[in-house]
Amino acid sequence: MGKISRRDFLKTVGGAGLVASTIPSSFLIDLYALTPTRKLSQVEAWFYKKLPDKEIKCELCPRYCQLGDRERGYCGARENRNGIYYTLVYGKVCAAHIDPIEKKPFFHFLPGTTAFSIATAGCNVNCKFCQNWQISQVRPEQVENFDLPPRDVVRYCLKYRCPTIAYTYTEPVIFYEYMYDTSVKASKKGIRNVVVTGAHINPEPMKKLTEVVDAIKIDLKAFSEEFYKEYVRGELKPVLDAIKIVKESGKWLEIVYLVIPTLNDSPEEIRKMSKWIIKEVGPDVPVHFSRFHPMYLIKNLPPTPVSTLERARNIALEEGINYVYIGNVPGHKGESTYCPSCKNVVIKRFAYQILKNNLRKGKCKFCGQPIPGIWS
Amino acid sequence: MGKSKVVMIKGKGALINNRINTKVISLMFKKGLSLLFDCNDFRDALNQLFSPSDRIGIKINTIAGRKLSTNPEISLTLANLLTRIGVRSGNIIIWDRTNDELRRAGYRLNFSGGGIKVFGTDTRRINYEFDLTIHKNIGSRFSRIQSRLVNKSISLAILKDHGIAGLTGVMKNYFGAIHNPNKYHDSNCNPYIAELYETYLIKNKNKLSILDGMIVQYHRGPSYHAQWAKKCELFIMSTDPVAADYIGWQFIEKLRKERGLPPLEEEKRMPYYIITAEKMGLGKANLNEIQLIEYEV
Repeated sequence: MGKISRRDFLKTVGGAGLVASTIPSSFLIDLYALTPTRKLSQVEAWFYKKLPDKEIKCELCPRYCQLGDRERGYCGARENRNGIYYTLVYGKVCAAHIDPIEKKPFFHFLPGTTAFSIATAGCNVNCKFCQNWQISQVRPEQVENFDLPPRDVVRYCLKYRCPTIAYTYTEPVIFYEYMYDTSVKASKKGIRNVVVTGAHINPEPMKKLTEVVDAIKIDLKAFSEEFYKEYVRGELKPVLDAIKIVKESGKWLEIVYLVIPTLNDSPEEIRKMSKWIIKEVGPDVPVHFSRFHPMYLIKNLPPTPVSTLERARNIALEEGINYVYIGNVPGHKGESTYCPSCKNVVIKRFAYQILKNNLRKGKCKFCGQPIPGIWS
Repeated sequence: MGKSKVVMIKGKGALINNRINTKVISLMFKKGLSLLFDCNDFRDALNQLFSPSDRIGIKINTIAGRKLSTNPEISLTLANLLTRIGVRSGNIIIWDRTNDELRRAGYRLNFSGGGIKVFGTDTRRINYEFDLTIHKNIGSRFSRIQSRLVNKSISLAILKDHGIAGLTGVMKNYFGAIHNPNKYHDSNCNPYIAELYETYLIKNKNKLSILDGMIVQYHRGPSYHAQWAKKCELFIMSTDPVAADYIGWQFIEKLRKERGLPPLEEEKRMPYYIITAEKMGLGKANLNEIQLIEYEV
């Protein structure tokens, strides 16, 4: 197979691939040199149990897929071959960008820096409102993949001076082994690692992951089991458990709640969730209420009204959460960080840009109040 | 509406030393079709379903390798019978998800040559539709073979136990026609299998449903396990996919009972999707409403 041409590359990325409006052109040229591969990986997966008759039981996520020979897990990225469970996506990226860290979003983690962001195809849930379904709700062989082993991820990060690697876009849980190995390699070079996840994962792998990464952003998609069952095809409880595990680990945690009109936007639900956050992980965990846009299987609902997002933010603030943001509404005042003590703007944002940073050594420059986060 | 007719046709000597006897297979198809349509000649039966101008897909099942996949001799025999009513051989496609699975099941691929076509959805220039087909709980991209290349289809499925759904049958066979079957394994694949079948791209095109029971895996499916596989040398044929699956399910339960295995319901994998399909009006799943004809050639 020859090298991918510029024309073919652009055709590919138009569908699902390496879209990169923020990537320096020199970086794109580097990726042009990569040849798309049709070969998937065959690296033995972690967290599974061998059963009689060549069956296996995956223990990575709460689904506990039990599979016969040649069967795939719900994620589509792991396959039982002759009684051994393999990840098919180790080092096989379908998306790679350099993004502002604010895009993840992380608002209390190295503001104004970039993250080398990667994903492989597949996901262990099936959110009806998925924003990246073209790469998450597919099997890896159904998208164009590029070989990018952990050492090359680190190399690109160093070359383009990205202080952080973000495992994102699809669901990093399904490329756990790749994410873990890359994180270990990157840490040795002083590169930080952040995970953007729905956290539909079992406690043991979650704990192990917190040992090698620096921050985790968890999508809390609603605060009811019914919603998770109907619209996520997953469970809420394992996600809540994962949030607690991250907090207990001491690694940086932020929570995003995508507010979908009529489905998870009731004041009661928002208040219940806010109370839970205060009780279980404390008032200093940033919470982002993001605006929904019609997508994938939910196209019959309008984008979230800004007033609904503001109402959610107000409820969370009333309940005592200190850092509550509004996402996907560029220019809204809820994008900025306010000092909980003197109420001044500590970090002023517009979309993914930092307009002003009034932090001094992690403290509000006006009153000296410490602002929690990873700032340097 | 009258009863749904299902033919269970057995062919002694159809499978000898793991080799298919195409003469017996051909006889089984011919007799089965004739019984299904109450006619003396299989061509009269096929003419009620297909016309010479049709482009016909034969969706087979090749996930389990050579020992438990649709044998090439079987699907090719069926395809050849279709040519006998004037369907052009080049307008018949024997297909499944991937070329790799087809090869492993013993198929010789033929995408652009003359004669009957054999290829997978992952063939370059084929692939899945980019747009989703959305229907009830289904949101999937369809194989372009099913959506564009054929106007009628036959589900030629392997009759076997399935660890999650309970049964792999003619309806579930179409999981191989979409890009994301792994997303429909919750709650014993119910109601997903029925709802997928109900999509216009399948329900409107599927004209004939055949369960291949040369070897029936009645436990630990869908992969092959010799200790729970039995040579049965039969086909279950119907124009009602629900009725065909229902009879296939009962047959699996019978084999399980013979071997002292519990009913699928006890193992919490009863194929409820068949009942759901009946409730949706896709066919019959009740012996009182099925006319079962058993015959041996």
